[in-house]
Amino acid sequence: MDIVELKEGGVNTFKLRGRLDSNTSQSFEKQLLEAISDGARNVIIDFKELDYISSAGLRVILKATKTIKRQDGKLMLCAMQDYVKEVFEIAGFDSFLPIVPTLEDAFKAF
Amino acid sequence: MSTPGSFSFELRNRLSELETLCVKMESVGQALGLSRRCLFEVNLALDELFTNIISYGFQDQSEHAIRVHVSADQDRLTVVLEDDGVAFNPVARIPLDLPCALDECRVGGLGIHLVKNLMDEVTYERRGGTNVLTLKKSIDKS
Repeated sequence: MDIVELKEGGVNTFKLRGRLDSNTSQSFEKQLLEAISDGARNVIIDFKELDYISSAGLRVILKATKTIKRQDGKLMLCAMQDYVKEVFEIAGFDSFLPIVPTLEDAFKAF
Repeated sequence: MSTPGSFSFELRNRLSELETLCVKMESVGQALGLSRRCLFEVNLALDELFTNIISYGFQDQSEHAIRVHVSADQDRLTVVLEDDGVAFNPVARIPLDLPCALDECRVGGLGIHLVKNLMDEVTYERRGGTNVLTLKKSIDKS
């Protein structure tokens, strides 16, 4: 999986490409939690080019959401492909995670 | 041996084999004309079960093989996953109480929850020293 991290107007955006599974989730978790501990409070994860997510990926998103919330920050998820979004829905995560259709929508949330 | 409509392959007990699983299932999906969604769902179910097996199934440091058989008849796909790890029946796990709130959300059992929801049928058998998981799913063609 490729991760591109961008910082723009006080928002950290992580663009993911490829597969977020048990093989790739640890390095993503490290990078994401490091950004939060370095002070990132407005974070977007852009799923546009992510083809695949497993429960290992869901755990990273859950952990990061809890961590950033404790710091009064906010994590937005955007641009998911249908079947990636379905995984969030089956897990019941769509009921408490902010998932929006586009990157622009995610920016507007801050 | 693979016959038409039937495919078999083996994976080693290493996380990096998830990549192999994906590549193998991609060609099975193509041969059977599965839709991208159907292939994604079968791949995800196998990923979750495989990750469980290699994380908890083996107590020694040796290499083990996890065998995967995929067959299709008419409109149904059958996938059988076999390993020689410790006896473990994931089907017997207590279902998650969903949806939950962020603070109460448990992550244990999430993988099995996904498997049960993505497949039509999941059955477990212990045959001799082998765990046999059988998954069934209606085929939705591309």
